[in-house]
Amino acid sequence: MLSRVADSLYWMSRYMERSDGIIRMLRVNYAFSQEDFKEFSWKPVLKMFTILDDTPINSLTRNSRAVLQYMVSNRENRNSIINIITRARENARSGQDHITKELWQCLNEFYHSIKEEQLNSALLKEDPITILDGLTRQCVSYYGTADMTMIRGEGYSFINIGKFLERAVQVADILGVKFVNENEGISEDAGAEYWKHLLNSISGYELYLKTYRGGLEARNVIEQVILNGNFPRSIIYSINRLHRYFERLRSERNTDGYNKLNFMIGELHSRVRYSTADSIMKQGLHAYLFRVKEDLYNIANSLNQHYFAYSL
Amino acid sequence: MKADELLNNYFVDSQTWDEMYSNNQLREQYRNVVEFMHQLSVEELNKKEEMAKMLFMSQGITFTVYNSGEGIEKIFPFDIIPRIITAVEWDHIEKGITQRLKALNLFLKDVYNNQFIIKDRVVPADMVYSCPHYLREMYRFPVPYDIYVHIAGIDLIRNSDGSFYILEDNLRTPSGVSYMLENREITKRIFPDLLPANQVRSVMEYPSLLHKNLMSLSPRQIAHPTIVVLTPGMFNSAYFEHTTLARMMGVELVEGRDLVVDNHRVYMKTTSGLQQVDVIYRRVDDEFLDPLVFRPESTLGVSGIMSAYRKGNVAIVNSLGNGVADDKAIYSFVPEMIRYYLNEEPILKNVPTYQLGIPDQRDYVFKNVQSMVIKKTNESGGYGMLMGHSSSDEEISNYLEAVMQDPRQFIAQPIISLSSAPCYMNGALTPRRVDLRPYALCSPSGIEIVPGGLTRVALREGSLVVNSSQGGGSKDTWVLSK
Repeated sequence: MLSRVADSLYWMSRYMERSDGIIRMLRVNYAFSQEDFKEFSWKPVLKMFTILDDTPINSLTRNSRAVLQYMVSNRENRNSIINIITRARENARSGQDHITKELWQCLNEFYHSIKEEQLNSALLKEDPITILDGLTRQCVSYYGTADMTMIRGEGYSFINIGKFLERAVQVADILGVKFVNENEGISEDAGAEYWKHLLNSISGYELYLKTYRGGLEARNVIEQVILNGNFPRSIIYSINRLHRYFERLRSERNTDGYNKLNFMIGELHSRVRYSTADSIMKQGLHAYLFRVKEDLYNIANSLNQHYFAYSL
Repeated sequence: MKADELLNNYFVDSQTWDEMYSNNQLREQYRNVVEFMHQLSVEELNKKEEMAKMLFMSQGITFTVYNSGEGIEKIFPFDIIPRIITAVEWDHIEKGITQRLKALNLFLKDVYNNQFIIKDRVVPADMVYSCPHYLREMYRFPVPYDIYVHIAGIDLIRNSDGSFYILEDNLRTPSGVSYMLENREITKRIFPDLLPANQVRSVMEYPSLLHKNLMSLSPRQIAHPTIVVLTPGMFNSAYFEHTTLARMMGVELVEGRDLVVDNHRVYMKTTSGLQQVDVIYRRVDDEFLDPLVFRPESTLGVSGIMSAYRKGNVAIVNSLGNGVADDKAIYSFVPEMIRYYLNEEPILKNVPTYQLGIPDQRDYVFKNVQSMVIKKTNESGGYGMLMGHSSSDEEISNYLEAVMQDPRQFIAQPIISLSSAPCYMNGALTPRRVDLRPYALCSPSGIEIVPGGLTRVALREGSLVVNSSQGGGSKDTWVLSK
């Protein structure tokens, strides 16, 4: 497969995963804002997904409609859904002969629907949950189409590598956002409402209730979100998949690049696999997540160097 | 729908050949289609038209117009009524194009080698050498199998007497074939069962035919040669076509930056290292193909690709330098070429063409400018031309002044009234002018033409310009098997 095409498929997939994550975050946060407006702030979401300074963030924190508009349909925001989907589609276009026609159509329709001016005005006037659910359905339709139609070849591996790498980074971000300013330990004031909210945004609340039955505790949340191998949005699950799809790239050629990356992913994989909630809390969640993210970025850079780069 | 509602507004003037009517009688080949439409209401027809638009949009069959940062994607307008060609008409077209293409390939071989046609004074030497597309780099280079033109899209029009004329030979990188294929797919969706009922010949073999031809050109005698389609990239207006062809043939779509030349061989950069490329179907123009030989600032091409080509390590389709044969000034010599090389009479006629570089002819054209169309010899896409009958005096005098700067760069032709075909507009059928571009493939084993082509239509009333850049659209083109 052409390096350029592999690069495009990988980024198409990362952008799709990112927009899916952002849309889910927006939906849950919006719902939360309707419930408990006094406590609620958009600050964590804006910190995580935008590059805005504190001043504009503070002016937005309590204006849900303005945040939704900024995060979904604002062209000025590099990480708005409309810009991310546009980039996903451009990458799909550049690898168009390597994805199925169905997948291309699915993404293309998503792009055209999000460009509708109507969507922007609906975000300001109508029920945002209906609109965000509609967008989530488009993402789900993309995942389903990819799963049902793509041949299990190299392209599919790169799509999944992008997807799970992005997902691991995102989950680490979501989990870590509460601790940006606190380098040590779990803050006590991160109450049950916050954890519920966090689990909801990654579709993990029901699983939590089934697993732990009792109230929401930081330790259990960390265990589920980082270490539960059956939870599709946990860090260990994402790294597991990342490793599995990467191993499919093994070939007679490019053994140097393969071996190097396989080592890096394997090392990270082992470290997460042999962590426990207690060991994580002992060394500090922030430090732990920081290390995981650093490893993921290094993996991304090496992929770029050994598989995507144009130079020889 | 009632027959009179559908056809009420269908007026054809007596100077124009109409594809559907003759002397107010429906031609036999259109009977089924018109009957089928009678069974539908205006609402149903409008819905079908809407459906066609939706299908194009959702499949991304679009070209991009750039004006304000983000490109605006437009669909190439599609008219739902097919253009129908009878078996007899097709037979004539097929023979004519085959003959013409044979002569043009021989001409290219000749002007780049022994130049008999120049020495025998059939084609003047200055006509050849003054053509900007004549490439000295191709002189005395033995092109594999002596085939220069592997893919041709020759434009035909139909005069008022109903006979076909050649308007243009497109021998470089003719585009539009994906619309031939996609338009047919749309017709299948909007008019179920109508295709088999009319015994329309299939065009779907085009990609496999092309693939087979490309395979046969591989310099390495191996079971699975690497074939690629070379595109200028996704910002090219024909990018959709490039991806379609690559996908339908199951070959790699590459950009210049994906390729590299090492020791006179072309490789593509893959995730598992370099892979040698055997055949390149390039959709990049000659002058951008190799920055070491042609335009040095080009980033669309590949440095050193010409040397690999000249060494015979890679096949390039179409070959380079073909522009000298589809130049609008050389065009007028094609009938002579056919007589000279094949000792045959041309089957398809040329539109009479005046060389403005020749004083006598120029005087004649200037006197009769009202009934002429003047074109630049190396422009295409409907740019840089003057339609004498619809231009103001000022436009004409400005244009003629420009002609006098360099008369060789211009030719003139009498305005030919293109034939008209029915289009569905606002609930009724209306005649609009059409042309026809069949796609001919030339391989070591001969010339094949897929039964069909691209019918372009001038959607503005009375307009004779069918180019997509000038408000043209397209139709599905049916060739009947009986």
